[in-house]
Amino acid sequence: MTTASEVLSSIQSAFPGAVLDSRVESDRRLWATIDAKTILDVCKHLSSKLNFDHYSGAAGVDWIARKEMEVVEIMASHGAHQVVAMLKVKTHRESPSAKSLTGLYWNANWYEREIWEMLGINFEGHPELYPLLLSDGLMGAWPWRKDYKGYPDLTTGERAVAITTPEGYTEYRFPPTPAEIEAGTVVVERPKYPSFREREEKEIKSDSEMIMHLGPQHAMVPGPFLLDILVEGERVKKAFLDLGYIHKGIEKIMENRTWLQGITYTDRMCYVASLSNNECYCGAVEKILGLEVPERAQYIRVILEELSRIQSHLIGTGEFLTLIAGVGYAPWQYMIMDREKIISLIESVTGARLTHTFVRFGGVRNDLPEGFAEQCKKVLPYMKSRTEEFIELFAQDPIYHARMENIGSISPETGKRMGCSGPVLRATGVAYDMRKEDPILVYPDLDFKVITGTRGDSADRIDVRLREMLESIHIIEQCLDRIHSGPIKTEAKIPKKVPAGEAYYRVEDPRGEMGMYVISDGGDKPYRVKVRGPFYATFQTLTPLLEGVYIADAVAIAGSMDGCPSEADR
Amino acid sequence: MGISDVIPVPVAIDEEIEKWTIFGRPVAEVWFTTTEKIHQIIEMGPIKNIFNWGRKNSVYFLMQPMGCCGVEMFVFGAAPYDSDRFGCIPRNTPRQTDVMIISGYLTRKYLPVFKNLWEQMPEPKWCIAIGECAISGGPFYDSYNIIQNTGDYFPIDVFIPGCPPRPEQFLEGLINLQEKIKQRKDKRDY
Repeated sequence: MTTASEVLSSIQSAFPGAVLDSRVESDRRLWATIDAKTILDVCKHLSSKLNFDHYSGAAGVDWIARKEMEVVEIMASHGAHQVVAMLKVKTHRESPSAKSLTGLYWNANWYEREIWEMLGINFEGHPELYPLLLSDGLMGAWPWRKDYKGYPDLTTGERAVAITTPEGYTEYRFPPTPAEIEAGTVVVERPKYPSFREREEKEIKSDSEMIMHLGPQHAMVPGPFLLDILVEGERVKKAFLDLGYIHKGIEKIMENRTWLQGITYTDRMCYVASLSNNECYCGAVEKILGLEVPERAQYIRVILEELSRIQSHLIGTGEFLTLIAGVGYAPWQYMIMDREKIISLIESVTGARLTHTFVRFGGVRNDLPEGFAEQCKKVLPYMKSRTEEFIELFAQDPIYHARMENIGSISPETGKRMGCSGPVLRATGVAYDMRKEDPILVYPDLDFKVITGTRGDSADRIDVRLREMLESIHIIEQCLDRIHSGPIKTEAKIPKKVPAGEAYYRVEDPRGEMGMYVISDGGDKPYRVKVRGPFYATFQTLTPLLEGVYIADAVAIAGSMDGCPSEADR
Repeated sequence: MGISDVIPVPVAIDEEIEKWTIFGRPVAEVWFTTTEKIHQIIEMGPIKNIFNWGRKNSVYFLMQPMGCCGVEMFVFGAAPYDSDRFGCIPRNTPRQTDVMIISGYLTRKYLPVFKNLWEQMPEPKWCIAIGECAISGGPFYDSYNIIQNTGDYFPIDVFIPGCPPRPEQFLEGLINLQEKIKQRKDKRDY
């Protein structure tokens, strides 16, 4: 088994002098600062020789005191080994620039676009560097830089100006800076989204083609996004994805909150999987603090996360069914009714239906209530029988199979290359699950299977989700048997100021691999929090998947991804 | 205004009818009147209450999930809380709805789209803000991308606080709106 120190020595021997600084945190985490000139070669070496075939994401960090910026490339492997390499590339703060990895990893595209629009780091060799999340007005303001003074900046008191438009609405605009006024121009060129008309003029080549909108408002996706499809007759020729309609800037907001307050924001990233998000953030901070979680708290976390997975899969499958409208409206109603049972179980512990803020650094907020195990033992067998019923329902329906089989198929190789994870990747047959891959809490002691599919199509994705629910029920039953009394919080005192350090922590979200990269500079607030969301990665695969399918199948493919645009936008 | 403006009759007949009088006044003036006149009569009389009674019992809302509250809106519209009992039925297109529910954070990028959706809704229409984000920006009050004061853009009748509010609170809010419509105290003055 490859370990982090072996990876480091392999890089050092292949490229002497390329590694400027390194730290081996454990067998599974490697931190290395790579010379900016050699980063492409190092990545090539990693992917070809050392099985780093999973580009997990990238984060940009603004080190304003050191007058430099960093791009952190997060690399991992699909099961060959468990090392996560965090490769840092430094660049100057004036005219920051880094080499693009899009030639090597297809899915680097969106991550680099995001860093570019938020921090202004230019990526050399990127094919389509235009805005992803921000609206035109904010482009060029570089909101994630530490010296950003935007609306409403409560620290400096500089606010945007309220202007009344001719229609009588109030709008907020940024005043130009004195430097901008003096120079007579804006400092940076502000690229714009292609408007609908421009896109029409550019893309439509013949009379038989037209552009269809799906969104931004959609009744059954929990968050708006725009999918424009260029159709010729009944076939989709090309798809365009616009997101950022509910971009809240959570990563920036978390920099302005204390460590504890940050937990509430992780809830609101993906509101149907808030417990896994809590876990991910708290786990990362625990890693920096070096805290041990008591065993009872670990079991409570696992129980709640698995319950949360069940309800997330229920609502995801239900949404999918309403989207395709084939199997109909009734299963959605049944799924929501069953979900209410799970929600009330979670609510009896956390006190909230969706946004729990339950996990704490080194433990959980409160203990399980009396009679929780009995209540669970009543609900879980019912859920099991219902899930089996749903699986049978889908297995029997010939119309459903005719519509869903071999629709939106992803091969294992494509799935790995595109960087998707969770049920979408597991449906292709790749057993890639963070609970096995990067085990946390008590997962190594528990007995469960990683559910995989065979064809990787829409039907398989739904099937994997439903069978995963059964597996989750099995996990919860084991936990309820094994849990015994004890403390629910660590006895160590949790300081208000977290010592300087950084950590990357991964959990298995209902939608796939969720990672958080947390940096502390020794203050009472995080210096930077980067969220590697699972749906962000899956979302990116949507446009190539839609090329060449029928219009009716476009919805079936997009729906089977179990979308949560809120987590993609953050 | 002649009869031929209202029903297609030959002009000759129209001219003939225009000569007729009833109690010394032209028939056309008494029998045929404009929509505006009808509206004036409705505004004045108790018939408006009957209209509003009908409106209040069929407040169809736009299924428009934008955030955490959107997920609660699913549940509110589905079987467990069954909003249909109160005549609040979820619809998928703005053209069939009476109530716009702002169910989450309104961002700079989404605001123009949202205005468009609001303008696509036929009159009479009402607006409800659900959750802290829609009311005041909520936990994202200092974000660079969030509109804090949705009340400046839309005539909001009912504010439902909570983060997110429970489906029962959704019901309470809609019942409050119905009461407002009944008492003719809503912002757009229907």
